[in-house]
Amino acid sequence: MLLATAERSTYLFSTLMADDKKTLAQGLRQRDPELLDRLIEQYQYRLFRYLLYITGNQERAEDFFQETWIRVLERGHQYDVRFKFEAWLFTIARNLVIDWQRQKKAQSLDALTDPEEGRGFEIVDEKAESPLHLVLQGEQKDKVQASLEQLPAAYREVLLLRFQEEMQLDEIARIQATPISTVKSRLYRGLGALKGLLAGGAA
Amino acid sequence: MREDVHARAEELIAKERVEGISTAEQEWLGQHLRECARCVGAANATEQALRSLRTLSVPLPRELASRTQFRLRLRAQELQVREPRWRLVWMMCGASWVAGAATAPYVWRGLEWIGHRLGVPDLVWQMGFGVWWALPAIVAGAILLVENAGQSVRRNLDDAA
Repeated sequence: MLLATAERSTYLFSTLMADDKKTLAQGLRQRDPELLDRLIEQYQYRLFRYLLYITGNQERAEDFFQETWIRVLERGHQYDVRFKFEAWLFTIARNLVIDWQRQKKAQSLDALTDPEEGRGFEIVDEKAESPLHLVLQGEQKDKVQASLEQLPAAYREVLLLRFQEEMQLDEIARIQATPISTVKSRLYRGLGALKGLLAGGAA
Repeated sequence: MREDVHARAEELIAKERVEGISTAEQEWLGQHLRECARCVGAANATEQALRSLRTLSVPLPRELASRTQFRLRLRAQELQVREPRWRLVWMMCGASWVAGAATAPYVWRGLEWIGHRLGVPDLVWQMGFGVWWALPAIVAGAILLVENAGQSVRRNLDDAA
């Protein structure tokens, strides 16, 4: 009896979710300005934080934030209701950053995204104070900021998606367009490195 | 206790957070943690690292949302003007291709007749037929190129600003 009720409520919940996504997809296709305004407000913190983590630079994160929403407006019809909106949003944001990096440096996508092949994904000036540090400084002055800055951006990215966004491994894999095994490997390495750095060691 | 036992415990501590562990692994880890202070320390360090990560906040730039909403509205207006224009171009291209396909045999024969009347080599009027056939694609391509050039100039101006 209890199980049946639970199953029914799960079904109802998933139906509601599916309906929400369908409404969302329809609104995106129609470029509903009110829906877009609401989405921007709803996701502004999460998207900006994600962009800040992967670019390490506030101004660039702001630029990419706006560009991401422009893409959402232009390509709203491409949103697939099978997936979470935020996963699609982050994929757009990530692709914009990668395209920008590709234009700036004639490097392969692998070299940019794989921390095992150099730092990757970093746009920071080694000599200058890290922009990420400057942004986070006012908020918390503990070891976490310093540790995060020392992590390659690809590790920061997976740590954020898994432990702050609480995304599933397959969702992260889809955003990064990498196999789940790579996501896991980055998570283990990132977590290990973060622990090491917080304990006072090197990444 | 053997070193590989601690290594397994540490591996499971991380695995539990990253991808989850089975009930049997949970039981094994629970049992081990009851007996091993060193691994309890490792588990606490992992938990602490994740807690620190989760509590870290990022200040949002002022009016980021409203600035974005404003830009989006401008872009939506731009698209509203541009898209019907594009739809018209594609419809005309499509209609032109359909008409081209339907009249191709007559155009071929007509060009052949003109070619013979003027006494030009076959290759010339046949190339003329090729150009006539590709004309809608050439026009559409030219429009696309002009449009893209305009967009990149606008983007460069935005970047410079």
